[in-house]
Amino acid sequence: MIRQPISWPSRVTLGIASLVLVMAVYTSLSYRQRLSHPQDRTIPSWGQISNDGVVRALQSQHGGSDDSWLWADSKASLVRLFGGIAIGATLAIVVGVLTACYSSVESFCLPMLAFLSKLPPTAMLAVLFVMAGTGYEMYVAMIAFGVFPTMTQSVFHSARDVPSELIWKSYTLGASNAECIWDVIIKQILPRLVESIRSQIGPAMVYLVAAEMLVGDVGFGYRIKIQSRLLDMSVVYVYLAILGVAGLVMDFALVRLRQRLCPWYAQ
Amino acid sequence: MINSKSPLLRLDSVSHQFGAQHVLHDINLDVPWGQFLSLVGSSGVGKSTLLAIILGILAPSAGKAVMEGRVIKAPGRDRGIVFQRYALFPFLTALENVAIGLRFDRIRLIDRVVKFWRTRREWKAMLAEAAAQLERFGLANAIDQYPHEMSGGMCQRVSIAQTLIMKPKLLLLDEPFGALDEASRVHQQEMLLQLRSENEQARNVGREPPFTIVIITHELSEAIYVSDRIIALSRHWDWSTEGYSQFPGATVVYDEFTPPFPRSRELSRSGMREQHAEIRRVALESDCRVQRARAEMSCK
Repeated sequence: MIRQPISWPSRVTLGIASLVLVMAVYTSLSYRQRLSHPQDRTIPSWGQISNDGVVRALQSQHGGSDDSWLWADSKASLVRLFGGIAIGATLAIVVGVLTACYSSVESFCLPMLAFLSKLPPTAMLAVLFVMAGTGYEMYVAMIAFGVFPTMTQSVFHSARDVPSELIWKSYTLGASNAECIWDVIIKQILPRLVESIRSQIGPAMVYLVAAEMLVGDVGFGYRIKIQSRLLDMSVVYVYLAILGVAGLVMDFALVRLRQRLCPWYAQ
Repeated sequence: MINSKSPLLRLDSVSHQFGAQHVLHDINLDVPWGQFLSLVGSSGVGKSTLLAIILGILAPSAGKAVMEGRVIKAPGRDRGIVFQRYALFPFLTALENVAIGLRFDRIRLIDRVVKFWRTRREWKAMLAEAAAQLERFGLANAIDQYPHEMSGGMCQRVSIAQTLIMKPKLLLLDEPFGALDEASRVHQQEMLLQLRSENEQARNVGREPPFTIVIITHELSEAIYVSDRIIALSRHWDWSTEGYSQFPGATVVYDEFTPPFPRSRELSRSGMREQHAEIRRVALESDCRVQRARAEMSCK
């Protein structure tokens, strides 16, 4: 039957099986590649990834600094990612809530938001390059610009879904407009705000990596581009694994944050 | 100072229409301080529209709703509301739900930041006040529960406690018995009768009665049981003889007091039976007949 629940052990077993399947397919591809070309690094073996990729990521120095590739790239990418998400999400929450609360703001903002949300942020790179240079500001602007329109629309719809009865009741209890927004609307949509940020982490990473590949001199996108040009994929696979794990960690942290901030949302 | 001679709420020739659809016509009503008034009528007759006008979320197409001499233009602190579906804040516990109105009323949002420690102490005092209120409503064991963890009857009681702690001049109850099981309905009725007897006690010692309530309901028996006065709305009144060529909206077709309170059992039973039959005849059966006729027409 559709949506028939399964036991917890079955769920865990199936999850592990999918991972094992992907690893087995990769191992098979890698093995066949090395049978014909023993020195090939385009589909490196597990041994090449751990002995070569991991070691070089940790021990090779970036530019003239003492920092390893991994440390330098992680620092640069994380600061850009969090800066962009923080600015994009903050703007989206403010504009989204005000748009849902006031018809005049809605009339002013919604048409432009609908237009902006259809523009691919990577296509805006040339404009951002001219306006913000190629430094930190450009990456933050790129991510914020990518996150802002979609998240604003999501916040707008969440705030619009707050039942009118709650708003009317808060006025009868003596709330001002500001209290109604802060104590009723924001509190009510808080779990959905966290979910919105969660859903934007993936796209934000896409914008970041794309920008770093195009104009970066440090960062995950830059390193992946350089190493793939050399057809040396052992470092690339290490970086991909780290990106995936970082995404999962951020996702998990936001779920825990939502559970902590909104215990009532469990149902 | 309350001037008990002037009504608390006055509806002055209130009419309303949504586009070309006429809903309410020439509603005139005075609700004095301390009265329990029930507004009854069949579904779709315009009770909720009238409630929205009194609450201040809908401006009437004609006429005005006046509260203590001021035209109602928006929801305000002087009118409390209990909705059929409770409308409790789902992110607050029962205790916080009851206390939050006190905070809205007594602490400005900016002071919660600027005078953090002082307002925190005040919030604790408000929580204690709210706990006492919940205890009066028999909900001492539910103070830490969120709305989704409580039954419908409990949510309804929390909602009434939340509204009454603010001591509104007018309490609006929107279908208060509609979503409840039998036991919770009986409990709710008893609670309203308790408020009504507090009004009587206040009158007996020369004080102003503390509770003025407007109940919007289609439960006729319960309306008669808990109210001082019944107003019935109907779409089927003789508007053609008053010179209208098309239906101008539902209007008041019945306005009578219920048997005196507290009632003797016999007087209560016979009086309530007669009144029930009278309201059915005047307001509800005509609406039902027309609805039945329309249903038969559509079947044919």
